[in-house]
Parts: sequence; C-alpha cells; structure tokens
Amino acid sequence: MRKPVIFEIGWNACINCGACIAVCPHEAGFISDFDTIAVHTACPIACMKCEDICPVNAISHMEQADSLQINQ
Amino acid sequence: MGAGPAGSMVARLVAEAGFSVLILEKRQELGAPIQCSGAISRHALVENEVEPDPEFIHEPVYGFRVMDGNGRDETIDYRKIKPDTYGTSADKKPLGYVVDRRRFDRYLLTKAENAGAEAWLKAEAIGYEKIGGEVLVSVNHFNEKKTIRTKIIVGADGVRSQVGKWAGIRTHIRMTELASCLQIIVDGVETNGLLEIITGHHTAPGGYAWVFPKGHGYAEIGLGVITPYTPQNAKWHLDQFLKNSFLSDRFKKAKILEIQGGGVPLAAPLKQQFADNMILVGDAARHVNPITGGGLHTALSGGTVAGKFLIKHLNSGKNHIAENMAIYQENWLETIGNHMWNLYKVKKEIFGERDIAAQDEKLFSTMSNYFGPESIYKKV
Repeated sequence: MRKPVIFEIGWNACINCGACIAVCPHEAGFISDFDTIAVHTACPIACMKCEDICPVNAISHMEQADSLQINQ
Repeated sequence: MGAGPAGSMVARLVAEAGFSVLILEKRQELGAPIQCSGAISRHALVENEVEPDPEFIHEPVYGFRVMDGNGRDETIDYRKIKPDTYGTSADKKPLGYVVDRRRFDRYLLTKAENAGAEAWLKAEAIGYEKIGGEVLVSVNHFNEKKTIRTKIIVGADGVRSQVGKWAGIRTHIRMTELASCLQIIVDGVETNGLLEIITGHHTAPGGYAWVFPKGHGYAEIGLGVITPYTPQNAKWHLDQFLKNSFLSDRFKKAKILEIQGGGVPLAAPLKQQFADNMILVGDAARHVNPITGGGLHTALSGGTVAGKFLIKHLNSGKNHIAENMAIYQENWLETIGNHMWNLYKVKKEIFGERDIAAQDEKLFSTMSNYFGPESIYKKV
C-alpha cells in the first residue's frame, strides 16, 4: 500500500502544459490554479504518473507523513 | 468551455445559426502558453471555412523531409512533385502553413464573436449541475462567482479537460499514449519550406523530432517522447538532439527565443464523447491524429461536426439527454472518427513492435508514406 503524497511543483521549471493533469486518474478537481495537478491536497493514489510525464521534471513529492512532520 | 480552435469553431457555427452562445475561457490570452507546433494543411483550413489569413500565418510550407538519423533521408517536396499546383508564385498555393497559435486562436474567436457569440476571458468553469433538463454551470469570472443556465455545454477545455470528468467519463490518458513534448523557437537555423521529421528510437523514443520553419527566418525544433519508453524526460532528449545528433552541426548557431511544451495525445479517440447536456471536442475528446500528433485539423473538423450537430439538434426540439447527444459521436465517427480509429491501429502496430530496429523501420516507412502523394492517409 502506497502512502499518500503531497506534490510540489518547481514553478520556475513548469511550462503550464497540463500533461500532468491529462494522465491523472483522479476524478475532476485534483488540479491547481496553474494547470498542474493539485499541490495542497494529499494524493492517496500516489501513482506518480504526473511526475513521470512532466517534460521538464518540475514535479516532486513528499510522503504525507513526512510533510506533516516538516509542517510541525 | 475553452476558446481554442475546437471551441471557437463550434461557437461560430452555432451562433451563425442564431442560437445564443457563451464562450468561457479561463486564460487572459488565447493560444498561450503555446503547446503546439502550429502545422496545418491548407486543405484543413479551406474544408472548415477558415480563410488562410496572413494575420495568423507564420510561414507557408510545401512538403516534408523525413530522416532517420542513420542516413535515410526522404524529401517529399510538392513544389517538385506537383509544380503546377504548389509553389510560391501567385497562381500557385502552399500545401499548408505553420500558424501562430496566439493569432490563430484569436482569429477564430473573432469569427465566433462576429457571428454573435459572447466571450468571457478569465472565466473558469468549475462544475455544473443538472436542473430541469438543463444545466447550471458555476463560473469563476475575474474571481467573481457566477452561475449560468444553459441547455448544452461543449467541453473544449483541452488535454487537461475537466468537463468530461464532471460527467463521470474516464478521460485520463494512458502513459503510453500521451507524448511528452518540448520545442524551442530559434534564430540561426535555416529551413526550406518543408516540415522536417526525424524518426527513430534513438532520437525520440515513442515519438519523433521535428524542425519546422517558423517565419522571419526562425525555426522550431522539438520532439515528443513516450515516457515509459525512456528513463529520461523530453528536455533531456531535446538537449541531446540539439547537441549530439546528426543535425547538431546545423543547430550550432541556434539562438533560443522561446520554449514551448505540452502533452499530445497519441491515443485512441475517447470512446464516449457525450453525456446528458454535454459534448466534448478537440483535445478534450482526444481528437488528435495519433500518428502525427497533429491536432489542429482534427479540432477544426471535429468542431464543424459538433456545430452542425448542435444546430440540427437544437432545431429538432428534442431534449438533451445522453441518448440524443450520442448522435454527435455517430456523426463524428462517420465524418472523421472511423478514419482516426484506423490511424490509431496503424500507430499501435508501429509501437507494439518490440524490436527497436523493426519499430524504427516501421515508423520511418509509415511517416514517409503518410506524407507522400500516393498516401492512403491523404487529407487527414
């Protein structure tokens, strides 16, 4: 079982192409305001297709538990 | 929803027929950021009643050159094959164009607005609910929440489409069927009125690379890769193509002007492109040629089919349940869709070949046949 992850976009590298959303198996709405997959909501699927498809490697992730620790 | 070529095409036709059309476009500028090479045949424009206009044309093109990086190099120049028809003089015509997507999209929106459609920019549709045979669409317009009641929504919201998902259609594209594309616009690379295509797993695993003329002496150099076929991303492959390929000498003086990229579906068309009160067009319905990755012709033609369907449907007085919307897809299959399914089968045959040398051979011969004068794929 994969742990939920929180995605992080390197906005400086992102070219707003939307490829990450196009391969994302989530239902509607798992998106950010800048044509990327969601960044503030944990992703329970964690298939990482969005990371793999990105033409410029702009997407990375933290496991949710790790990100919580960092936030604390 | 979406003021790209497909959306504006539908809007223009339906507005011309006297119906009330509202176009919602999320962005502030059309066509940008550009996610497209901009190549389109002259035939595609004429067939869809879009006059080739200098306003949006970067450069006319007259043919193709297909290379495999291992010495195979085939030029299909219609200035030589059919010199009476194709050429630069006033009595002859180009085979196609590389268009400026910013201006092209704006041009098509103007046509739609002149036909009576209303357009909102900075207007993002965020969902809809069904209400008494119609739908109530929620819109965020300049950060102001609005609702719009309408009979039918047209999802023309691109490769990142959400509209289909709202209706419960599984629209996401398989990793093996979305090409991850990157291109740069450069100065200092010569072109000759041809669309140059470079095939081969070594250059672009699962896809191909291209060098297109871009007007004013500029060129466009790009490639698309299928992610599961390579541990590297599109940017890495493009860097290799620029610095360490058989064309590197030609690219030596390239000075970069722009970077563009996108996800291009090399996929089967969506099996269901409709729902109650809703149809999908363009990239949102994966109306993209699965061999070339070209999406402009298919967006315009799909938009024309959708527009004609909507006019007939709205005049019929029928309600807007899925069963009635399904006729759109039938019309689309008859006009262009069945042909696209055939192209998809050809594409699968090529990339289903596991032996890389054999796959390279199949792709090169398909590409060189595709664009030839005897092509069985002609005019798509």
